[in-house]
Amino acid sequence: MLSIAFAVTALNRTLFRLVKWLVVLFALLMLYEVAARYSFASPTSWAPELATLLFGPFFLLGGPYLLHTGGHVSVDLLSARASGLAAKALKVIAIILAIVFGVILLWFAFPLAEQSFQYRETSYTSWNPPVWPAKLVLPVSALLLVLQGFAELLFVLHEEVTSQ
Amino acid sequence: AQKKVEWRMQALWGGGTTPMTYEKAFCDRVRELTGGTFDIKAFSGGSIVPNAQAFDAVRGGAFQLMKTYDGYTAGKIPAHGFTSSVPFGFPQADQYESWFYERGGLDLARKSYAPAGLTYIAPTVYGEEPIHSKVAIRSISDMKGLKGRFVGLASAVMADLGVAVSPLPTSEVYSALDKGLIDFADRGDIKANYEAGLHEVAKYLILPGVHQPTTATAYVANTAAYKSLSDQHRAALEVAAREVSGALRQNIMVSNAEYVGKFVEAGVEIVNLDPQDVADNRANAVSSWEKAAKSDGLATEILGSQRELMQDYRLL
Amino acid sequence: MSSSVILLGMFLSLVALMLTGAPLAFVLGAIAFLTTIIAWGPSALIVSVLNTFETMTSEALMAIPLYIFMASILQKSSIIEDLYNAMETWFSRVNGGLAIGTIIICTIMAAMTGVVGAAVAAMGILALPSMLARRYNTELAVGSICAGGTLGILIPPSVVTIVYAITAQISIGQMFVACIVPGLVLATVYCLYIILRVGLNGDLAPKPEHSRTIPLSEKLLSLKALVLPFLVIISVLGSIYLGLATPTEAAAVGVFGAFLSVLFSGRFKFSILSDAASDTLRVTAMILWITIGARAFISVFVATGGPDSILGFVENLDAAPIVILLTMLLILVFLGLFLDEIGIILLCVPVFLPIVKALGYEPLWFGVLFMITAQMAYITPPFGYTLFYLKGVLPKGISIGTVYRGVIPFFALQILVLGLFLIFPDLVTWLPEQIRDVR
Ligand code: NA
Ligand code: NA
Repeated sequence: MLSIAFAVTALNRTLFRLVKWLVVLFALLMLYEVAARYSFASPTSWAPELATLLFGPFFLLGGPYLLHTGGHVSVDLLSARASGLAAKALKVIAIILAIVFGVILLWFAFPLAEQSFQYRETSYTSWNPPVWPAKLVLPVSALLLVLQGFAELLFVLHEEVTSQ
Repeated sequence: AQKKVEWRMQALWGGGTTPMTYEKAFCDRVRELTGGTFDIKAFSGGSIVPNAQAFDAVRGGAFQLMKTYDGYTAGKIPAHGFTSSVPFGFPQADQYESWFYERGGLDLARKSYAPAGLTYIAPTVYGEEPIHSKVAIRSISDMKGLKGRFVGLASAVMADLGVAVSPLPTSEVYSALDKGLIDFADRGDIKANYEAGLHEVAKYLILPGVHQPTTATAYVANTAAYKSLSDQHRAALEVAAREVSGALRQNIMVSNAEYVGKFVEAGVEIVNLDPQDVADNRANAVSSWEKAAKSDGLATEILGSQRELMQDYRLL
Repeated sequence: MSSSVILLGMFLSLVALMLTGAPLAFVLGAIAFLTTIIAWGPSALIVSVLNTFETMTSEALMAIPLYIFMASILQKSSIIEDLYNAMETWFSRVNGGLAIGTIIICTIMAAMTGVVGAAVAAMGILALPSMLARRYNTELAVGSICAGGTLGILIPPSVVTIVYAITAQISIGQMFVACIVPGLVLATVYCLYIILRVGLNGDLAPKPEHSRTIPLSEKLLSLKALVLPFLVIISVLGSIYLGLATPTEAAAVGVFGAFLSVLFSGRFKFSILSDAASDTLRVTAMILWITIGARAFISVFVATGGPDSILGFVENLDAAPIVILLTMLLILVFLGLFLDEIGIILLCVPVFLPIVKALGYEPLWFGVLFMITAQMAYITPPFGYTLFYLKGVLPKGISIGTVYRGVIPFFALQILVLGLFLIFPDLVTWLPEQIRDVR
């Protein structure tokens, strides 16, 4: 079981390390747009739109790995003082909340992404790219969050077993 | 006795704006026509979901009714490009509305929504939105090579005219004009644009707003919820919707006139484009329309039926 | 279910779940989901997803990763450390010189962006390590950054100001101009407070060990450290105010400027870029997952009639105009506890503005009071988004309690300034009138 948890974590870590480079692409696309509009007096129809389309995948796919590293901010007034079983219980509550959030997001986002695909939905701008792939990233990220949540649960429980 | 029905509706406009008071009037009228048995609570635009997402929210049953602008969903359903606003299309709101009620437009709009489990009830049709410019635009050919802000089907049509189109967000239009990021732009209706202060940053107001000469917004309901209504309730929706369409159109017509006056007072020059120039470019826009119909069956059918009526009106 | 019950329920469960120490993003999201199911029906859960789709393509929010990336590159290449060294040389005689320098940089940052998350996270990355390394009091350092970072709402460009102007149907330009004075007044008041506070207790901001007088030549030489950061600032501000770029595109110009600075300073290493990109994704994902939860929370709160009862209360309030005005501002602070500023504007302005006009007050002036209050909402403990954004970039071991304690004095200063503009409306309306006459 634990090996699956490690595999999930590794997958999310890899995704994090890949998508983090998108910020460089955002900067390049926006700079290109500024140059195109100013120097060549011909703004592109695609550069700013491509950047905004990739913005969602950027922060969504980065989220699940943060659950592992503790990167999601919390109010640690009480939990910092808790120890032993209480601390463990609080950890489990936090993970369960993340899983609940992820499951509901997945449950409702998937049909919407599917419908977007069935319509072959585009953005209806002068560039008019398909938008369904970006929408599909939402249920995928929710699924990854849920998987990471279960992995974290395993890590916490395993810790308990070994410490006893 | 009728069983009491309670619905929620998200409208398109901000709370406190004039069009929003007409949406409240719509709900009041429905209540009145049904002896208080049909109660619709109106939410302002974007307060529950962003306007562009209302389609999926009503489809999923989060609320039963929306006031929408079909242009938001034209990326899903190409037909919606033509049931919302056609750049260089019908110059008079009454002409556009007559397409819905006299030339089968209503049925075609219903056909576009039916597969999604949504029921198109009725359009609200009104007139033009203006173009604001920092440079003198005397004819449509003057727009060529300028940097303009347009969205949706208008961005494609204006691009075909040789405009360098930037699809900036609405919130950036004022600053973009102010700082000269763009030369000219569309934004909202004449009154809203005056209130936002566009007279301070763009000294030319171009009429008619050829990119959006007429506009149709629409009441669209969740089909399952609609089916559970009594005949009286359904009739009330249709009657109230058609009343509001006329009332809001006239209100906008009057406020357009008033606010054009305010723009003049503020030192803005009003440029009236030559009708022949507009007509010539309408003929040129046909190929852009065809491109947007994307060989989609329903969109092509709608476009064909609109072109026929335009020919009857001697617009094409 | 009545709207007061929903309001109370959402408020209590927010506090309770927040205290379990669960990540805020999931607390907000989970409460939104549960309230939806109980008060609205499960089919309405779709609303949360649809709001997320919109967040995913927000042009304005893209400023967040770009400014964080810029800040992180500058910080990791020690360019900012050099800047703080130079400030230390020059401000060594001023009480709390570096905190004041931080407020000044925040004010400049505020002229670059109106996205609070971008400014606060970027300043947390830029300024905090340098201040902590010089043994500045953590609470003072954190408070300065939170307060300074929210100035971006008042000082243009600011999306929030635009949303207010559009909702209130007043000129966007007038609103921009009207907000500049209060923004600068707040920045000045923060600086005065720091001088006073450090004057009373020198331990809060220790002066450099070497108490020797630094020769002018050495001082002038240290100015070299200003050149690169200064060029980055000029390129960002220049591209906005010369009409070359939108505020978000200007952030990309900032990234480019930071990158060139590193190249010119000869400190470029691939690891700087890679680590900065990691930081950027970590902080951006943290902020935007909170935004997902918050948007879900807000839409459910609105759709289930959460605020109806308090808004209705003001509408029917029969009291002296000033009492009604103060009540409205209090409600804004209270709703600011859980709503973001755009949510507050969309909800409150349509209800409040007719009242404001009926009482004979100037909508522009009320708008400024509104904006000051909105930025207060950003730093009010226990639930202020700024506090969470900053917590996300704090070194491990600094608790949110420190952040809470740090912002309280600055919150008090904001109340003071709000009072000032409440008593002297001319301070607000003077500048827009001058500009209106020129136009
Ligand atoms: Na700003
Ligand atoms: Na707050």
